[in-house]
Parts: sequence; structure tokens; C-alpha cells
Amino acid sequence: MAKTLQSVLIVDDSPISRKMLKSCFPKDRGYEFHEAGDGQQGLDLYKELRPDLVTLDLTMPVMDGVTALSEIRAFDPDATIIVCTADVQEKSLLEVTQRGAFLILPKPPSKVSVLEALTKVEESA
Amino acid sequence: MSEARMSATTLTEAEIGRANLSEATMSEAGISQPGMGEASSGQPSAASGDVAGMGVAGSEEAGRGEAGVMTDEERDTLQEMMNIAFGRAAASLAEVISIFVCLSVPCVQLLRGEKLTAYLEQVVGPGREISIVEESFWGELQGSAFLVFPSGAGDQLVPLFGDEETLYEGEAREDVERDALLTTGSILIGACVGKLAELLGDRVSYSPAKLVAKRPGEAIPALLCDPEAIAIVLKTDFAFREESVEGFLFLITSEQSIDWLKQALADFLAQYEG
Repeated sequence: MAKTLQSVLIVDDSPISRKMLKSCFPKDRGYEFHEAGDGQQGLDLYKELRPDLVTLDLTMPVMDGVTALSEIRAFDPDATIIVCTADVQEKSLLEVTQRGAFLILPKPPSKVSVLEALTKVEESA
Repeated sequence: MSEARMSATTLTEAEIGRANLSEATMSEAGISQPGMGEASSGQPSAASGDVAGMGVAGSEEAGRGEAGVMTDEERDTLQEMMNIAFGRAAASLAEVISIFVCLSVPCVQLLRGEKLTAYLEQVVGPGREISIVEESFWGELQGSAFLVFPSGAGDQLVPLFGDEETLYEGEAREDVERDALLTTGSILIGACVGKLAELLGDRVSYSPAKLVAKRPGEAIPALLCDPEAIAIVLKTDFAFREESVEGFLFLITSEQSIDWLKQALADFLAQYEG
């Protein structure tokens, strides 16, 4: 059975980056978006909201994405997290994969890349 | 927020922003730059903006921008583009030499040309010897890129390029270290500026990389120091995890690029509208 995504938590320190990513989600699916500006806010909001999907930047102040990823996965091992990052070094990608990222979406996002990612998440259930 | 149904528990834009002022905004306000990342992921950890132990950045004088030239959204977009561009540059370098580049949040500042040298001196710190690799670039976007390393970084970089004994054999030590700096600088600058230009819909040519100065006061070309000109300074700090080498890259684009840049930013953002 396909997974249904309703609520999405976007964690990124750049407001414009959050806006860009949000605009790439299909408009007709009624997603409920929540936003956080750093890893700590993202973790706190995750615990409060338990969204269906988290998108996580890596380079952020206060708490970086790698730490947030680990903390969220420790809180909820079933959390579905897409890492949306400009850091496309192989070692970074390997590290986040090992820490439980569902997949990596290189920046800048596009409607096509976001749709592909969403389809993979939905089909993963 | 138009498409989002924000719940009552979701942070408002203001709340997100409060905890997370962009460096550009903070610099405009004369506030020291925030930390460059978290130690847990191996990122640079200088919480006060002390770059590479090279001095305190973001002083009131160095941090003041030229209000009104670019909107907050334009600077935010440029900052995000720099983030993407340097991420690609780091990956390019990692493909050539076995290294992991720890990235930080970039910052964008607008400065009068006459303040550039003072800015660099303050970022680096008084009296410090450094190595600066410079490349000029030309396209619609034009200016100069400077990769700043602490003095002695060349010595630390050489082993990343291969067996030291072989590399130094028959060569003057200084030449080998200079080559290591130039190669590293050329890859990082070329990939970063190239990606930035690509995101902006531009294509640029480069001058060959060169080592320009050992002191920040001598680094900025006179052409860019025009008191009437406004320069856009894009700066990102980095650290090489394996060799504990830290430094920063900054790009200065000329005032002539600003009108074109504003349109290019609008075009870039247009693909995310609606």
C-alpha cells in the first residue's frame, strides 16, 4: 500500500530556500507545510507535529542537519527524512545515508526532482 | 505561505527569522557573524566568526552594507546560490584530491570599493601572513575571486596531492607548496564561480590562478577599490577536515554587474513562482 503524505516539515536556514522547495511540491495534493530555520527548531517541531515527511538542509546554524537527522531518527526510527543539500560531496552523502536519510535531493530543487523524490517515498511503504 | 496551511503550532516566519537571522542581515546591522557550523559534523566551529584563527570577522565597520542596492530577497537568493555553488566546488575538489571540505553558511555583503581592503584586513586579522589565490572572471557577472589560506597552508596541502617525497624531489619546496595552493584555489574558484554563473544563466571566462599577496592590505586590485563603486562580497568559510586547514573564499563583483545580477536573480526566482 502506498504511503500517503500529508504534512511536510521543511528545515532550512535560508527562507528563500524553503520557499523554493515548497514551490516545487505538486500544488494539487493539499500538503500541509511547516517550517523550521535550524536543526534544533526542526527537531522540536518534529516531536510536536510528527509530520509524514521531513526535508532537511545540512549546513545550518544552531544545530546542523547531520545532528538533526540523528536526533530525529533517534526519537522516531520510522521518520522519513529527505536531505536537501548543496553539500554533494560523496562523504557527506554517505554519512547521511548511514544515519538514516531516506534519500538525498541536491540543491537547487526542481519540480521534477521533488516529484521523483515524493514518488519514491510514497512507494516505499 | 500562500499554499501552506500553517498550523497554530508552526513557527511563524518571524519566529524562524528571530532564531536565524541571515548573516547578511546581521552584517548589515553590524552584528558579528554567527558560527559557521557544528563540530558534530566536522564543520568549522568558530562561533564568533573567527575564521581559521585568522581574526574576528563582521565588525561594525566591516559589516555595514550599502542599503537599497539589493533587496533582502535578492541577497538571500544570492546567498543560497553561493551555498549551492560552493557545495559543488567542494565536491569537485574531493574528486581530485582525497579531502572532505566542511562547509559553512555563506554571507553576502555590499560594500563601497574603498572599504574592501579594510574589510579583508579585519576578516583576516591584523598583521597575519596569509596566502591568497586570486582569479578574475569575466562574463555578465565579472569580478575577482580570492581564496584565503593561513600562511603555511601550502605545506599542509602538499601531502593531499600524492607522495611527498616524489612531489618534492628535484623541486624547490616553495614551488611545490605554491602549486598545491594554486591547484586547490583554481579548482575551488573555478567550480564555485562556474556554478554560480550557471545558476544565474551566465558563462564566464577566467584568468589563470595566481598567488597575489601575503598581506590582506596588498590583495585587492586597485580597480575594485573605487570609492564610488559598490562591490558585492560573497564569502564562505571552509575547513579541510583531514588537514585542519581553514580559510575562506570571497568573490567581489563589480558595480557594473549589479543591474544584470538583479535581473538574473529575478529570472532564477521566477521558475519557483506560482
